Amino acid sequence: MPLNRRTFLELLGGSTAYAFTFSCSDGTGTVDEAPVEADAGVIANHAVRYFVDYTEWLFIHADGSVTAHAGRVDMGQGLKTVLSNLISQGLQLPPEKVELVLGDTSSCPDDGPTEGSNATRIVGWGYWRACERIRDHLVERAAGILGVSPKKLVYRDGAIVAKNDPTVRLAIGELADGTVHLDTIEPRAWYSSSTPYVDRGTPSVNGEAIVTGTLVYTGDFDPGDCCYGAFASSQYHIQLTEIEAADFAAAAAVPGVVKVERTGASAMAVGESFTSVQRALKALAPRWRIPERDRILDVEGEIRRGAELRKTVEEAGDPERKLGSSPVRISETYITQYASQVPMETETAVAEVEGDRATVWASTQAPFKARVRVAKRLKIPEENVRIIAMPVGGAFGVKVDTPAPDEAALLARKTGRRVKHVYTREYQFNGRARYKEAVVADITSGVTENGRLVARTIDLYQDEGFGSADTYDIPHVRTRLFSSPMPARHGTMRGTSFVQTCFAVESHTDVLAEALGIDPLEFRKRNLAVASFGPLLDAVAEMIGYQRAPDGDHGIGVAICHHGGRQLGAVAAEVSVDRTSGVVRVERLAGAFDIGLVINLNTLTANTKGAMLWGLGFALFEEVRVDGHQSFTRGLSDYRIPRFSDVPPMEIAFLSNETKDGWPRGCGELPVIPTVSAIANAVARAIGVRFHTLPLTPERVLEGLRES
Amino acid sequence: MARAEKITLKVNGEPHSLTIDPGEPLLWVLRDQLKLTGTKFGCGEGECGACSVLINGEVFRSCMVTVGELAADDQIVTIEGLGRPGNLSELQRAFVDHTAFGCGYCTPGMIVTAEALLRSNPHPSRDEIVSAMDDNLCRCASYPAIVEAVASVAGGVKRED
Ligand code: FES
Ligand code: FES
Repeated sequence: MPLNRRTFLELLGGSTAYAFTFSCSDGTGTVDEAPVEADAGVIANHAVRYFVDYTEWLFIHADGSVTAHAGRVDMGQGLKTVLSNLISQGLQLPPEKVELVLGDTSSCPDDGPTEGSNATRIVGWGYWRACERIRDHLVERAAGILGVSPKKLVYRDGAIVAKNDPTVRLAIGELADGTVHLDTIEPRAWYSSSTPYVDRGTPSVNGEAIVTGTLVYTGDFDPGDCCYGAFASSQYHIQLTEIEAADFAAAAAVPGVVKVERTGASAMAVGESFTSVQRALKALAPRWRIPERDRILDVEGEIRRGAELRKTVEEAGDPERKLGSSPVRISETYITQYASQVPMETETAVAEVEGDRATVWASTQAPFKARVRVAKRLKIPEENVRIIAMPVGGAFGVKVDTPAPDEAALLARKTGRRVKHVYTREYQFNGRARYKEAVVADITSGVTENGRLVARTIDLYQDEGFGSADTYDIPHVRTRLFSSPMPARHGTMRGTSFVQTCFAVESHTDVLAEALGIDPLEFRKRNLAVASFGPLLDAVAEMIGYQRAPDGDHGIGVAICHHGGRQLGAVAAEVSVDRTSGVVRVERLAGAFDIGLVINLNTLTANTKGAMLWGLGFALFEEVRVDGHQSFTRGLSDYRIPRFSDVPPMEIAFLSNETKDGWPRGCGELPVIPTVSAIANAVARAIGVRFHTLPLTPERVLEGLRES
Repeated sequence: MARAEKITLKVNGEPHSLTIDPGEPLLWVLRDQLKLTGTKFGCGEGECGACSVLINGEVFRSCMVTVGELAADDQIVTIEGLGRPGNLSELQRAFVDHTAFGCGYCTPGMIVTAEALLRSNPHPSRDEIVSAMDDNLCRCASYPAIVEAVASVAGGVKRED
């Protein structure tokens, strides 16, 4: 039985708290009920049509302090800071009176995983609106107690005060206890609420703890008498292999080792220290079975072989016929690479198992998913599992469905000890990897001579999702999804599958423009599906100085995309290419985004810069090298991520705030997407070579130059 | 496999006597024996800088230094030795003021590395900051704010409380 509202209130409400519960509906599900005129085209095509109720809990305690519980976690995106701010401002309380409990399955509602840049958007606006209603409610309640009309009272600084006599005052903690269920908080309520939330630039709530090294991440948590545990890691895709032989005796003889044992295809080791466990796994020297599957050495071949049509996701007009009759018609294939999320804190969990009960402290984006995993792994009821989400040292998708909690729980059960399970980079890159999948995209377009897109077909070979293929107004289109039987394990990663599709579409757009002799920016403008891309393109062109002729071997490229329904973005990149070394350097980046209401410009700007640097990494060097059997990427030295010296000057504009057209739509992933394509387009403009495969490593660039 | 030995480590000014395998990396001794968990495990391969500490004023990656290599009078300083909550160092304050972090996991290593830079070069240029810190990785890509934070201290901007 999952924890329900009643048991929760019994558990925490006690008799001294005043409890409010409410739900926030997800705006993406109701956009068509609350249409916003601008960008209606995007909504019609891309709204994810679901409607979810998130149940939230807020308590007012007798001492006037407030506790709010949300099942989301803070992954460095500042959720805790934003929510604390919102509530302290919404209820007019000093920040120290507001306590947040995030991601503890025993005392927080299941309000979905923290992913897809939606935490602030959904939970945030729900709380803001709820605070407004709670203020009204408390005024009514006080009016009843005082026997006066609510019109005579006002809510001020955590108390209800008579308008004409400030000595008549009831602090919120003094109001009688009870439970109030507020109605569902409707979408758009945030912005339309009487007093829009304004961020006061409050510093991060965890700031002092972070800079002094005292913030307790999962691996820092010490439950007392804890050992370490780990599993053997194979370079082969794990579903293709198993341990054939291993030296269990030698492993068990390593000092400090508690237990070494075979588990399924792999083997586990538990020891008194991290080092003893690693030594045990080394001594174990497992021999892994070589996969029997015949392999194709190149990723494209693996992805295409045996691929089957999964579904046609979009079909309009008669694209095949129109392609045939188009005066200009171009067919291309684009391929993106396998990539890895690489949070600086590897996947980590600490587990304690007693009989049929388990407690797991975990670095997770989705504590309730972790609870299901642990319950299944240990074959115990879900309500016997408590997951405590700890501050997360980066996640980027990989900790949505992290196996670390259930693996730790298994290790704890097998040894009867508390076990800390800290993934090594090897295990993160190989043994338990869930990569961003490589994608093959076949794209064909037909254009008129004066540069109007007429028809397009796209076939995407990818298992998960797909991105925005329809930034352009094309009357005849077909988009199909094919399965990808590549045996490497897939998972989510920041930017989702939109990056791959955008790379194909936006590279192809430049190729078409070039074939027609039209400037790529102008070509885009002639074919936009959504007019609001126009100002974004103008903004980035202005920022990057699009009109000037760049120096030799420099190039400027642009790209646009949309994400998550109503987030629009344009990015321009200037690169230089060293023809001798093949090294691409991004000289400048400019981004313009239309993402609705901006809550905290500073945080947003910082996050956006970070996201654009992700795009830079994906475009230029990030790659997990795999074939149909194994991965060749073992550690951080094999996987380059952006570093200080890669950072170009960046300029960013948010146009949406000026149009004041709605609620915050989130911007965590969007900037990654067009940045990748803008860089690829800039490289093509710099050296006149079009690359169809990412990343643009020096070797690939040199090869392209040689062949050109 | 080496046997446990008596080893004395001087960390943040305090001597600690431990009976321990001299082959044990300093990182895990700091974290598990001395409970100084501000020094983070990011890779264990010397590739990320999350585990950076000062030894006699120079930056070292504690995952790559075994305790057996250290002398009893080596001065080891961890992030905890630079300032405490409520009593931040100037550099720590600058990181807070510039929100020079996302998740914060790389931050102790960043601050320790920047501390060493500022001790040897109190007025580095932005380029010098970038090259001194280039081997410290931040997946949240808070790089621009980190450079600003370090530069604000380097520029002699005094803190005003
Ligand atoms: S943990 Fe030492 S460098 Fe990464
Ligand atoms: S702040 Fe997250 S890794 Fe640097």
